[in-house]
Amino acid sequence: MANDHSAASSDPRRRHRHEGPQKHVVAFVLSLVLTIIAFAAVSAGEINTTFTYIILVGMAVLQVFVQLAFWMHLKDRGHLFATMGIIFGIIVVFTMVIMALYWVWW
Amino acid sequence: MSAHDHHLDGHLPHEPEKATLEGRNKILGFWLFLGAETVLFGTLFAAFIALRHQVLDGPTADHLFELPMVFAATMILLVSSLASVFAVQALHQHKVKAMIVWLIITILLGLSFLGLEIYEFNTYVSEGHKLTTSAFSSSFYTLVGFHGAHVAFGVLWIGLLIAQIFKKGLTVVTAPKIYVSAIYWHFIDVVWVFIFTVVYLMGKVG
Repeated sequence: MANDHSAASSDPRRRHRHEGPQKHVVAFVLSLVLTIIAFAAVSAGEINTTFTYIILVGMAVLQVFVQLAFWMHLKDRGHLFATMGIIFGIIVVFTMVIMALYWVWW
Repeated sequence: MSAHDHHLDGHLPHEPEKATLEGRNKILGFWLFLGAETVLFGTLFAAFIALRHQVLDGPTADHLFELPMVFAATMILLVSSLASVFAVQALHQHKVKAMIVWLIITILLGLSFLGLEIYEFNTYVSEGHKLTTSAFSSSFYTLVGFHGAHVAFGVLWIGLLIAQIFKKGLTVVTAPKIYVSAIYWHFIDVVWVFIFTVVYLMGKVG
């Protein structure tokens, strides 16, 4: 009773909307599959280089999206400013990577 | 006021890391920090992408990299990320013991990742791929080493948090720290996704 941390909440045991581990296991399996596809595309070797690059970038972007949304809870509510912060970072990164790809050895 | 009254489950709110304004601000501030970290890693990636073919007379990426080892490191980090998400679930359910166990698993996997990376760097150095060998080697060690340093810091940080949980228990003050460290750990894994894609796999492709 001396504990004031719980003042506003009702009994937490009563209405638990805790997500089970399923969602995170699904995110894990998705990440695993995306990783294996990327490694397999390189190990196979016989595929056209440009096509391999597209597969690699696609798998990486998908996996990062899965992890940001599920494991880092970005899709949960109350994450608008957090999302804006990370998106701003990604925009800067894109600018720099494009610069590195197209301008440096021109 | 029996001892039972102080049992954590009866006192902590549903999501203890978001129960206080301080906790919520900590999480938001941490995301803004991660935005800055993204930029930081982005500059290192940009430098690496620009310089990755400049090998001088040092070994090339295709010659150096061993995909099975990279795959093992990737799996270790991916599983550790899963362990830290389970730690946060245990936190939400106020299961302190389970949370600590998952955090310890996270740390152990992080340490084995570091061990593998040290072994890997050691092998490269013995093959004549040193920090100053070429622009490729410099940008490689800076990028991958910086990620490794983040893993090392994460291990240290989570280790200290476990010690603090033992001392102070799970409260609305300690819960945001655990949550934020888990976000940090996932971020390390996210950066690794781009490292194995851009550095190792694309290095193999050419």
